[in-house]
Amino acid sequence: MSIGKTLKRIIAAILVLSMMMALTACGGGKEQGSNQENNTSEGEKTKLVVVNWKDYGSDDPRVIKYFEQQYNCEIVHEYMASEEELLTKLRTGGLGKYDVVLPNASILPVAIDEGLFEEVDTSKLENYQYIFDKFSTLPENKKDGKIYAVPWVWGSTAIAYNNELVDEEIDSINVLWDEKYKGMIAFRDDFNDAIMTAAIALGQDPSNPSDLNAIKQKLIEQKPLNRTYWKTGDEWSKLFANKQIAVGMMWSGQAATMKKAGEPVTFVVPKEGAIGWVDYWGVVKDAPNKDMAYKFIDYMISKEFQLQWTVSGGPAPVNSEAVNALDKETINEMNIGEDSLNKLYFIEYHGEDVKKQWNELWQEVKAQ
Amino acid sequence: MLKKILSWFYTAVVFIFLYAPIAVLMAMAFNESQYNALPFKFSMRWFEALSQNTRLIDATKNSIYLAAITGVICVILATALMLGSRDTSSKIKALVNSVVMLPLTIPWLIMGLSLLLLLRALGLDKNFVMLLIGHVVISLPYAVLILSARMQDMDKSIEEASYSLGANEWTTFRRVIFPMISPAMLAGGFMAFMISFDNFVLSYFLIPTGTTTLPIEIYSSIKFGFTPEINAISTIILVLSLAIIGIIAAIMGSSLKNLIR
Amino acid sequence: MKKKVLLMSPAMFILFAFAIVPLFIMLYYSFLSDSAVAKFTLENYINFFSKGFYLKLTWKTIKMSIIVTLICIVIAYPMAYIMAKVIEKGKNLILLLIIIPFWTSQLVRAYSWLVFLRDGGVLAQFLNKIGLIATTDMGILFTSKAAIIALVHIFFPYMVITIYMALEKLDNSVIEASKSLGAKPIETFRRIILPLSRPGIITGAILVFVPCLGSFVEPRILGGVNGSVIGTVIEDQFFEIFGWNFGSAIAFILLAMVLLSMGGMSLLLNKEK
Repeated sequence: MSIGKTLKRIIAAILVLSMMMALTACGGGKEQGSNQENNTSEGEKTKLVVVNWKDYGSDDPRVIKYFEQQYNCEIVHEYMASEEELLTKLRTGGLGKYDVVLPNASILPVAIDEGLFEEVDTSKLENYQYIFDKFSTLPENKKDGKIYAVPWVWGSTAIAYNNELVDEEIDSINVLWDEKYKGMIAFRDDFNDAIMTAAIALGQDPSNPSDLNAIKQKLIEQKPLNRTYWKTGDEWSKLFANKQIAVGMMWSGQAATMKKAGEPVTFVVPKEGAIGWVDYWGVVKDAPNKDMAYKFIDYMISKEFQLQWTVSGGPAPVNSEAVNALDKETINEMNIGEDSLNKLYFIEYHGEDVKKQWNELWQEVKAQ
Repeated sequence: MLKKILSWFYTAVVFIFLYAPIAVLMAMAFNESQYNALPFKFSMRWFEALSQNTRLIDATKNSIYLAAITGVICVILATALMLGSRDTSSKIKALVNSVVMLPLTIPWLIMGLSLLLLLRALGLDKNFVMLLIGHVVISLPYAVLILSARMQDMDKSIEEASYSLGANEWTTFRRVIFPMISPAMLAGGFMAFMISFDNFVLSYFLIPTGTTTLPIEIYSSIKFGFTPEINAISTIILVLSLAIIGIIAAIMGSSLKNLIR
Repeated sequence: MKKKVLLMSPAMFILFAFAIVPLFIMLYYSFLSDSAVAKFTLENYINFFSKGFYLKLTWKTIKMSIIVTLICIVIAYPMAYIMAKVIEKGKNLILLLIIIPFWTSQLVRAYSWLVFLRDGGVLAQFLNKIGLIATTDMGILFTSKAAIIALVHIFFPYMVITIYMALEKLDNSVIEASKSLGAKPIETFRRIILPLSRPGIITGAILVFVPCLGSFVEPRILGGVNGSVIGTVIEDQFFEIFGWNFGSAIAFILLAMVLLSMGGMSLLLNKEK
């Protein structure tokens, strides 16, 4: 039975190994747990519960530390993985539990309709007055003239190109349909971006396209010119850096990051316009700490915070003071000035039917 | 002889195909460029960056943890199932067989979706228990496949001898059956561990917000661009697993030949 | 008997409650309408079958999966045969080496193919150097070929293992007997070895074909503008537009195809017998 014995020893060794792993994992978990306990036992501090994306500005340890010290409170983050998940969280037991959450246009109108948000009293927000007019006039965060969410940051999906491979100055969205760049273009694989971009190119209203058939034809016409469709930012940056593509649709934020990394990328908001998006802060209905929620949002839209985040690679600020604090060149380079802003068509909420219809159209183009 | 040479040649070709992308993956871990650009320039910067990246390390730990529990549960379940179904009627055997093999016939995508819908129907948030259950469900058939192959050609007479010598069931299991099937148990657990460790699709649907596993971390980081830190950690995992296999072989000591037999 | 039931029940319970029941829940959702008050409807299914491109994508996915499965069989069979019958030393080591790639993330491997296959990439430069191709452009990446290569790479170890397990069980004396009765090697293979190893091939085919049908990462990343498959459609339904009900319907159609094709396979087998 010597084989049996050695096997037993092996199994024992493996068990020990896996137990060690389990223990280290548990150990990590416990540490976190006890930390939390410490914090709560520290006393009667207000506990502000924030729901946001992971690594998205508000959960930067420095930001949290500053705010907690300033207002003698504790910020607890819970993370969401999708907008839909946030909506589900609010619908199922989130009211009265969360204070501040970060919806965007894709769920905001529904959530406001269902009464999941408190009305925002902008007079309580010192920094609200500095928000660009463009944002305070968007329809998504309002109902019956009342405001339910505060714009926070924005960005655009426009055109980026390799200024070493392309020897002209691109300023038109039609470059995506230019035979000259056949096989060097990367279009985005996203039904919303695709349809809005085609609508802009056709001169239709991207928020409310009049002729979906023409858009379909336009997209099918564009298809063979691509090297590939891209979905994740990573695909784009690798294609770009390896000179597999010369021009394509791109996000403002990532283009800026790549430029910082030394890539020969030029980002333009074309003259015909481009797609824009906004993230909003909303105060959840029956939030336990409404006053602190206002203070938090006010800080989030303050010049100090917005400037600091933008400079360190965050998305574009809504606070005009923050933009004005930068020099002209930087503003132009990052496309965060008011002139780029005014060229944008912000993604709007569409009912389920429109969403389904758009998605199906895009699937059909891809299946061609 | 010619047959042997041809065989080794073919084996070599297959292994080149199998390992070429893995070699590329490892090479990119040592490449200076963030975007896998060529030509190759040697650099250790991604390993340095990795040592600072607690999220990626935590995600890896979580993956190992999840896969280890999955592996152990699968081995226990599969062994019990196999022992229980051994001498049953062929009808029950067929039923057991078809139920166990069912998860193999369902694409993981669908399995993940249906478990997500189950959570929704129950009104529950995504949680670790469901993630674990999902992993067990998809890994169990592999463990059973490997175990059953071994159990089929197990010699019953030894077991019977044990009973006739007055040993009870537990003793018989411990002293007779277990030593016979433990290699298969090990292999089955190993397989289940691996299926779980690399599983992306199921975790993609069931991962609780805030927690993460390695494949999920990789997928979410490609949204904005992942750095070769991911390649670096894959390289480390690969080398470590080779080392573990080496250690197992070393524990076997004299039976090292066994492994290469 | 009681003990037996006790031994079997945990595994059976988990599989029943978490593999079978959820499928019925999915079936239920697939018959719900998207309206505020959900009611029973066939519209999800009607929508799928009335749109030509969904059927086209479905057929494309099936075709791709069949190709991947066949390539896997062709590559894996000789490998398994070599391991089981030709070499005496090192087969466990080979087996281990075949399994080890599982340790690297499927996603990272998919990305490695980008570096490997692209124009001017590793393979193109190598082939160009040894003179097999004239330029460093290959035109493989961002076509369905790239997706197929990546899928074969991911799934063929399963095929090797299952065929190997079947061949190992096959008694050498049967082969010897066939030889001594004067059968040519090809005939021995066709009449003895192949039929006896068929269970391994079929298990392997299932382990490859099924996940291929549901794959969505590799086709999308590597397949270029034509990278759409039924898996990506389902993914978009659930993650982009939250069309749970329609997504469930497509998923169920996919599942029905899997079951039908497997039923067909087993029917074919029984007939031959």
